[in-house]
Amino acid sequence: MKESYVDLIRIRRQVFAKVAKMAYDGADLSELEKSSFEILPGEVATYRDSVFRERAIVDERLRLTMGLNARRPTEYHRVTDGISEVDVDKAQLVEPLINVITFACEACPTKALYVTDNCRKCLAHPCTNVCPTNAVSIGKSRAIIDQDKCIKCGRCKETCPYKAIVQYDRPCAAACGVNAIDSDYLGRAQINMDRCVSCGNCIIQCPYGAISDKSQIYQLIKALKTNNHMYAIIAPSFLGQFGPLASPVQIFEGIKQLGFEDVVEVSLGADITTLREAKEFLEKVVPGEIPYMGTSCCNSWTVMVQKLFPDQYDYISDSASPMVETAKYIKKKDPDAKITFIGPCISKKIEALREDVKDYVHFVITFEELMGMFVAKGIELSEIEVSKEIQDASSLGRGYAIAGGVAEAVKRTALAMEPSKEINVEGVSTLHECVKLMRVAKAGKKNGYLLEGMACSGGCIAGPGTLASFNRVRKAVTDFKNQASCESPLDNEVIDENLRTGNAH
Amino acid sequence: MKVKVCVGSNCALLGSMSILDQLDDLKDIISEDSESYYDEELEIEAIKCLGYCKETDANVAPVVVIDGEPMYNATSQTVMEKIVNKIRK
Repeated sequence: MKESYVDLIRIRRQVFAKVAKMAYDGADLSELEKSSFEILPGEVATYRDSVFRERAIVDERLRLTMGLNARRPTEYHRVTDGISEVDVDKAQLVEPLINVITFACEACPTKALYVTDNCRKCLAHPCTNVCPTNAVSIGKSRAIIDQDKCIKCGRCKETCPYKAIVQYDRPCAAACGVNAIDSDYLGRAQINMDRCVSCGNCIIQCPYGAISDKSQIYQLIKALKTNNHMYAIIAPSFLGQFGPLASPVQIFEGIKQLGFEDVVEVSLGADITTLREAKEFLEKVVPGEIPYMGTSCCNSWTVMVQKLFPDQYDYISDSASPMVETAKYIKKKDPDAKITFIGPCISKKIEALREDVKDYVHFVITFEELMGMFVAKGIELSEIEVSKEIQDASSLGRGYAIAGGVAEAVKRTALAMEPSKEINVEGVSTLHECVKLMRVAKAGKKNGYLLEGMACSGGCIAGPGTLASFNRVRKAVTDFKNQASCESPLDNEVIDENLRTGNAH
Repeated sequence: MKVKVCVGSNCALLGSMSILDQLDDLKDIISEDSESYYDEELEIEAIKCLGYCKETDANVAPVVVIDGEPMYNATSQTVMEKIVNKIRK
């Protein structure tokens, strides 16, 4: 969630802490009915027009956090509807992951150019002169844009000497790189699931908090209370997320105190992915078997290619993502392992439902949700006494969290394997840019390239499930990178030697 | 002036890191126009949980302490206003 959306953050995270507490306390599910009152007590509205609407929206958030679907306002439902039918203790996520809470959406107007009070209807009126559709005219008090004629090119806005014309778009739609935000009959946002890639950027940007994803923390905590083979794997962007005083090893210990048997860095899986992708690139792209290769670690990027460029999907690397590789590594050691991915990403919640992934990764939660669990369990990370070093991964693996890190790791590893080869890489990190890059690649202009696509601007450290700001986390990730005991995945002794010496396939 | 921002679990959950970021930015705002402010160093410290929220059922997080005086339910804007009021000429 955008850091400056403080009120939204409060509501969203209080719900996480509440649901986590209910799960740890073993509270009766009927308690869900009064939770919104406990979060927003009294009769005076704080955020919206009425406290009753505020609570109704919190009810919806509670349901989504329990993994249930948002309710349809046109039908009568109790808050707890659906809980008795599905076994909440075991239920896995059901798509759609991303839900618009319809009655929280304020039906913002769609993309348009507006003339503001700044307009002085000047003599030169360049706005009218540059318009390619003759849509701008000078009215009685200011310039007028004929919205039926306007093609939204923005030329009038650029030329106005008074900055009197603004371009406006719904924040959710502006954030969506795949044009998946439609409108319902009341003009409220509606997600087109044929295009949505579950990146979560609309969730981050909506200033009304009207879009939310589902969570599995309730089911996860239930499993933690009964299962001894619970493992957590934590994404490379975890550094600095839980406050500047919580050290990496304190974070690991804190996670264990939640009931996990062990915690492993996903950067280890990143190292394995690097080795596989470097080999794959050398075997397939260099001899020209495939024109180019897209990286496989960002799920929204790969789903975008699958949905919008299906004929190019074969050129996305076959190597499993770092999440899956890390889970496979644990599963090899403990076949009964139940594995929880903790990360900045909500798209991973969808990746974990895939046929080839669901037996390895059982739960996916975000850093935000994890923090809710720490609070529910009363864990103060900075007060945990522990002195150990975490050394699961190489410096390059730990760099996956920041845009450019994946391509950098694969390139350097491939060059170490075959120094004579030339390896071109290109990386982009917003979904808009990913789509553009794929258009260019499809046109044959990126042949011979390794293409790194990431849906979040700046990489995973800007994911929708983060708590700390981009700059704070980038610094912490870089520090942690520098503490790695080896530079390259080729020297990471945790990884099977066969994979490192080239007998992987 | 000494400003302590609690980054314990509950305060961090409810946005205290964003207050820290805003205070860093406030330092920039002050240095851009240093003549308007008294020459007093703004010392910002992230601190461990002070235990305020555990002593009460009321919601008090995030907690910020300015020169020994605690502020409950602190927001960036109220904290920054308080600081600016104290050090602006």
